[in-house]
Amino acid sequence: MKVKLKKELPYIGFVLPAFLVYTVLTMIPLVQTLGLAFTNWDGYSMSNLKFNGLENFKSVFSDRSMKNALLNTCFYSLIFPVVTTIFAIPLSLALNSRMRTKNLQRAVFFFPSVPSAIILGYLWAYILAPTSNGLLNKFLGLFGIDPVLWLAIPGWAMFSIFIVNLWSAVGWHACIYLAQLQSIPVEYYEAAIVDGASAWQKFRYITFPMLASAMTVSVLLLLLNSLKLFDLPFALTDGGPGTSTTMISQIIIKTGFVEKSYGKATAMSVIFFIFIVIISMVQLKLMKKREVE
Amino acid sequence: MITKKRGLKSYIGEILMLGICVIFFIPFYYLIVNTFKPAREATVSPMSLPIKNFTLDLYKEALRMINFWSSFRNSLLITIISVIIIIVFGSMAAYVITRHKNKLTRFLFFYFLIGFMVPAQTTLIPLFNLMSRLKLQNSVLGMVVLYSSWCNFAIFMYQGFLGGVPKDLEEAALIDGANLWKMFWYIVFPLLKSVTITIIIFDVMWIWNDFMMPYLFISSSSNFTLIMEVYKGAGQFANNWTVMLCTMVIVLAPITIFYLFMQKYIIAGITSGAVKG
Repeated sequence: MKVKLKKELPYIGFVLPAFLVYTVLTMIPLVQTLGLAFTNWDGYSMSNLKFNGLENFKSVFSDRSMKNALLNTCFYSLIFPVVTTIFAIPLSLALNSRMRTKNLQRAVFFFPSVPSAIILGYLWAYILAPTSNGLLNKFLGLFGIDPVLWLAIPGWAMFSIFIVNLWSAVGWHACIYLAQLQSIPVEYYEAAIVDGASAWQKFRYITFPMLASAMTVSVLLLLLNSLKLFDLPFALTDGGPGTSTTMISQIIIKTGFVEKSYGKATAMSVIFFIFIVIISMVQLKLMKKREVE
Repeated sequence: MITKKRGLKSYIGEILMLGICVIFFIPFYYLIVNTFKPAREATVSPMSLPIKNFTLDLYKEALRMINFWSSFRNSLLITIISVIIIIVFGSMAAYVITRHKNKLTRFLFFYFLIGFMVPAQTTLIPLFNLMSRLKLQNSVLGMVVLYSSWCNFAIFMYQGFLGGVPKDLEEAALIDGANLWKMFWYIVFPLLKSVTITIIIFDVMWIWNDFMMPYLFISSSSNFTLIMEVYKGAGQFANNWTVMLCTMVIVLAPITIFYLFMQKYIIAGITSGAVKG
């Protein structure tokens, strides 16, 4: 036993550093959140902890802005991955063709995913502004369209976040598909041409099925990113007008760090965590099934 | 005849794509040109090239208002040190998890996997409590510690890659009496170069661009990262939007240079990650 342990020791030493930082900074806080959500924790002392059941969860569901944030995130995470995929696949097909400027094009479409979303948010806030430096309204003015208050009307504000996010993410995700496209054997297409397949049939029966594994990765990333979305709405709309673009992440931070309602914030975190676990499990199951087919 | 027709079609397609590229790039064009114009001209004609009244005054003002060098140094320190820690810890752990299979390492694999489903927001409040107890809140060191826990991404990238690396060399080295530490760093790690580059690129971009962590954990401006300068500027330059644009350009410059140098690897990295994923 002793000899075996001595042999194991170097291996344990190899995993230990990663294990420690990960445990202390991710797993223990996670377990604490899961536990504290059911108590009357005040944020500081652990000595007067009392179990108070589902009290915090009740207060989450009776809070209108919390319910709003949940709905906003649900809505966004449902639509955003689908729409981005609908744009990313054709974009990857276009970038995969034999154009002379394709490298330049790839660089341009990819570039919006390089800057921090905070910078993109503030930049677009200027572009969408109703004042005279607002580029978009100035452009619309050329056609006699009155300035639109893009960030001050709930529906338009959500739409603006959506479009800016799409603009910044679509090139990155097209790259994921691009890689997979290049690995499809040319013979498949040659055989299809011999059989007289149309362009649409080639896409439907060769390209699209072959993109399945890239799609699993891309959609999962899109889903997780839309669920966790924080920086972009923070800079672009700050959750407003009202709470119309407030997402789960922002409301957790607001309730926890600004209002210091720790019980509510931890309860919301638990709901968020469960939400993410369920959604990513379901998504992976569905996608893997498609990959096998 | 057919080839000629297709040629024309692809020609039109290329022009169309270039047109979309131009539209895609307009926000950055708008960002850059307006930093070289006097504020009034920028407001009146935001799309014009800054030829008539070209000026660098706005940059001078932006640099005077923000703590560029201090924030740049903090961003650089935080990013470089945490990425090195992530690479070292991540590659070592992944090596043992893939090569030394037993009950414990199999458990560890799933243990590290859970982290992917834990959004940072879920752990923030206890984490904040922990960091202030350790006196690591509002410090550059604290940020490094926070980002080091992102090592599970590296573990998975390495774990996927190691599956395709032949074991013969390692076994030979171990028989020759090399210890695990030496064998790993001299023989295995050099073979992991391409995936290491991918991990470095992703983590550099995530950590450099991260806003949530410094926003919550850093309070004094001497510990600010560059992204925090943009956030601060949004309040400060509310009436001076072109100076704000300059701040954004200054903060954007380092990561853009990084992107331009690493572009080749970035696309390759996304693809390798995706295909393995």
